[in-house]
Amino acid sequence: MTRDGMTPERFATLAEAYGGDVARWPQGEREAAAALMSAEPAWAQSVLSAAAELDLALDAFAAPRAAGDLAQRIAAGAPKPRARWRLWLAPAGMGAGLAAACAAGLVLGVQLGAPQAGVIQTGDGVVTAADDEFSLYVDEAAG
Amino acid sequence: MGDSDDEILSRVAAGDPAAARALVARKLPRLMSLAGRMLTDASEAEDVAQEAFVRAWKQAPKWRPGEARFDTWLHRVALNLCYDRLRRRREVATAEPPEQVDEGPAPDRGLEASDTSRRVQRALESLPDRQREAIVLCHYQDLGNIEAAAVMGVTVEALEGLLGRGRRALRAALIDLKEA
Repeated sequence: MTRDGMTPERFATLAEAYGGDVARWPQGEREAAAALMSAEPAWAQSVLSAAAELDLALDAFAAPRAAGDLAQRIAAGAPKPRARWRLWLAPAGMGAGLAAACAAGLVLGVQLGAPQAGVIQTGDGVVTAADDEFSLYVDEAAG
Repeated sequence: MGDSDDEILSRVAAGDPAAARALVARKLPRLMSLAGRMLTDASEAEDVAQEAFVRAWKQAPKWRPGEARFDTWLHRVALNLCYDRLRRRREVATAEPPEQVDEGPAPDRGLEASDTSRRVQRALESLPDRQREAIVLCHYQDLGNIEAAAVMGVTVEALEGLLGRGRRALRAALIDLKEA
């Protein structure tokens, strides 16, 4: 009764495990199962019918259906589109960090460096800006 | 043929609400089927489905197409959530034993479809968790043996053993359905 390596015992084991529909059996064993079914149709049919009875009973247990608004509630929690300005600012995830580093460097340079164009070193060591625009920039960068 | 799960996930990660709705429409019934059969409780199944999607939304930006099947990953996540709940149930049941419930149909009426459904539900509940899991994955979720074994973290041979023992126990528990 063996055909292409499929023994009746193996056929029965597969029916017991995967049920009466050979299409749901492991792909690599379906052909050998079909050969055995051709050779022993009555026996194979009785094995498959017994397994199919349990399949049918299992199908009677229907899955619960989700509440009407569950899908909407779940979808509402999905990631939101990123704001356009964030995409522009951080093309490689480094834009913001680079800008901050530049600003910090500028402030440090102003505080430690020699008097530069547009900056006045007063006699008591206090740095003041020569014009309003620069003063505003330094305050923002430092803040 | 629609977009693959991987394609939809990448759009979800970019914040496309239509992709999120498409993924929910595609996967929610499968999650309800899985959790509903594992927990046999609709409300808890909804909670599991919702939590599984919360994790999917977090995973979407990190998902690497082609490395794993999203459906397999989602099944594993949902099953872990089911096991958390089953564990909690056992702890509560140990502390507070449940009252006895009617185990069968009334003798004076035939087996209606809802009776059969309840009988099967109880028979599944009575199985060891791993046997129930194997049957839910292969019979109800229609996963192939290799994928089901991967989800369960066992060999294909072990999966077959769990399926065979589970189905034999179910047949014994439901023998009178055949006679009815």
